[in-house]
Amino acid sequence: MTEILTYLGKDEQFEKYELFFGPNHPGMHGNFSYILTVEGHTIKKVDPDPGLLHRGFEKLAERRKWMQNIALIPRICVPEPDINEVIYSIAVEKLMGVEVPLRAQYIRTIILEMARLGSFLFGFGGIGGATGLYTASYWSFSDRDYLLDLFEWLTGARVYHMFIIPGGVRRDLPSGWIEKLLETIDYLQKRLYEYDRLIYNNPLIVKRLKGIGKLTKDEAIEYGITGPNLRATGVKYDTRKMVPYAAYDRIDFEIPTQTEGDGLARATQKREEFQISLDIIKKAVKDLPDGPVRAKMPNPLKFKVPKGDVYVKIESSRGEHAYYIVSDGSDKPYRMAVRGGSYTAGLVLAQKILVGMRIEDVALWMATMDICPPDFDR
Amino acid sequence: MEQKELIKYIQENFKYDKNIQKIDDKQFSITVEKDKILNILSFLKLLDFKQLALITAVDWIKENRFEVVYILFSYSHIQQILVKTFIDRDKPEIETIKTLWEVASMYERDVHEFFGIDFIGNDDKRPLILHNWKDKPPLRKDFDSLKYSNKIFGKFKKDEEND
Repeated sequence: MTEILTYLGKDEQFEKYELFFGPNHPGMHGNFSYILTVEGHTIKKVDPDPGLLHRGFEKLAERRKWMQNIALIPRICVPEPDINEVIYSIAVEKLMGVEVPLRAQYIRTIILEMARLGSFLFGFGGIGGATGLYTASYWSFSDRDYLLDLFEWLTGARVYHMFIIPGGVRRDLPSGWIEKLLETIDYLQKRLYEYDRLIYNNPLIVKRLKGIGKLTKDEAIEYGITGPNLRATGVKYDTRKMVPYAAYDRIDFEIPTQTEGDGLARATQKREEFQISLDIIKKAVKDLPDGPVRAKMPNPLKFKVPKGDVYVKIESSRGEHAYYIVSDGSDKPYRMAVRGGSYTAGLVLAQKILVGMRIEDVALWMATMDICPPDFDR
Repeated sequence: MEQKELIKYIQENFKYDKNIQKIDDKQFSITVEKDKILNILSFLKLLDFKQLALITAVDWIKENRFEVVYILFSYSHIQQILVKTFIDRDKPEIETIKTLWEVASMYERDVHEFFGIDFIGNDDKRPLILHNWKDKPPLRKDFDSLKYSNKIFGKFKKDEEND
């Protein structure tokens, strides 16, 4: 059992303490902990200590059939569960050589972008929580609920949908759903300007975020930082555009970038990508083709996947979320390795970048980097 | 470079035995011998494969060997490479690559914990996720999670009223 605060000794100037920055700390995101060695307010050493959230997904997946895993894997990640279903389905389709109907690809795109919006709203709330601006979290969590209502109508579940399956999606969109979705998108568009006034044009927040955890392009690539955090350093790369999946190759969208690479740039990047996601949903709904939503698949409880392996990655709101899936030709996956978006940021980069920061900046850095413990403690 | 040119370039310039296999348009795998792993990875890093996305392993228990997979990505070629090598299951040892990438150290610590593979040169073997773990590494195929659960938590008695 780790003590919350351990006295380590003193030199001429400061007393040294070891602080357990764990799940009971209000600034911590989820069940994760950093063991910080502090001198006064300044952090001298960081030791990440995951393990409180381990559920053994990789082992569990090996015991379940290909289709049964669909009920298991969304649970890896709470804020954005749909990405897991999509990666897994794409991997199975690639190994089996299944062609997914176009309408299903578009529906997947819409679902993914909705999940992304939900996750960004969580992120807005995170910044609010870490800076003491609780209005932001109340607003964003209640706005996220409108998206969850749509998910509930579509799939019957609010958080874990299990809607995207190998071969396509489970069923077609119900009538009236698209109209409601567009209404929600319009509402979120209006709210975005309110968020601008509350967070991004707020001089206190801007001042607080500026300079937190500054990263350069080369450092970000070397440390395996991906997604919005990479683009905030100036790298114009988006998996949705460069290695397209779902219907992203048919939808035209911009890739915004920032140059600074600090906390403010990362927050601004996510605000701009929120806008891009709203636009993508509008375009996808406009072009939504008719047709079947599922390819013909063999008996879901018996089908076997040919021998082979594939690494599938997609762009989540936290960066590159990927699975490495190996099949030995049987009815169960032989091995499934998960690479979460914030794996390296939370475990490796933190050891370097938090040194020299003040204790109160740790929560803010985690909020701007979108550290999500299930990414590495899966 | 396109994938074809890239494969040709690697075949011409990397002089050891290797087996290159295309997975899809943006992804291919290279299988090399275990003692060439540091060479191929530094060769690929110079070829602008700057991102080490993951190190992971697969337990091929029937062939009595582990497969160690290094997943690299290049932002200029937009190609994913899976570098694979096989090591003996009875003597699971391989060189560390933490001198090439700092992040490798954490991936190796993770793989060491879940597969029991020793990365020679990487001394950071503190438990990362499984604290107080005394059984064999859990992602090995001969680790039975049901047996473990019964041993640690006792057998679940069938609730006869619900049957």
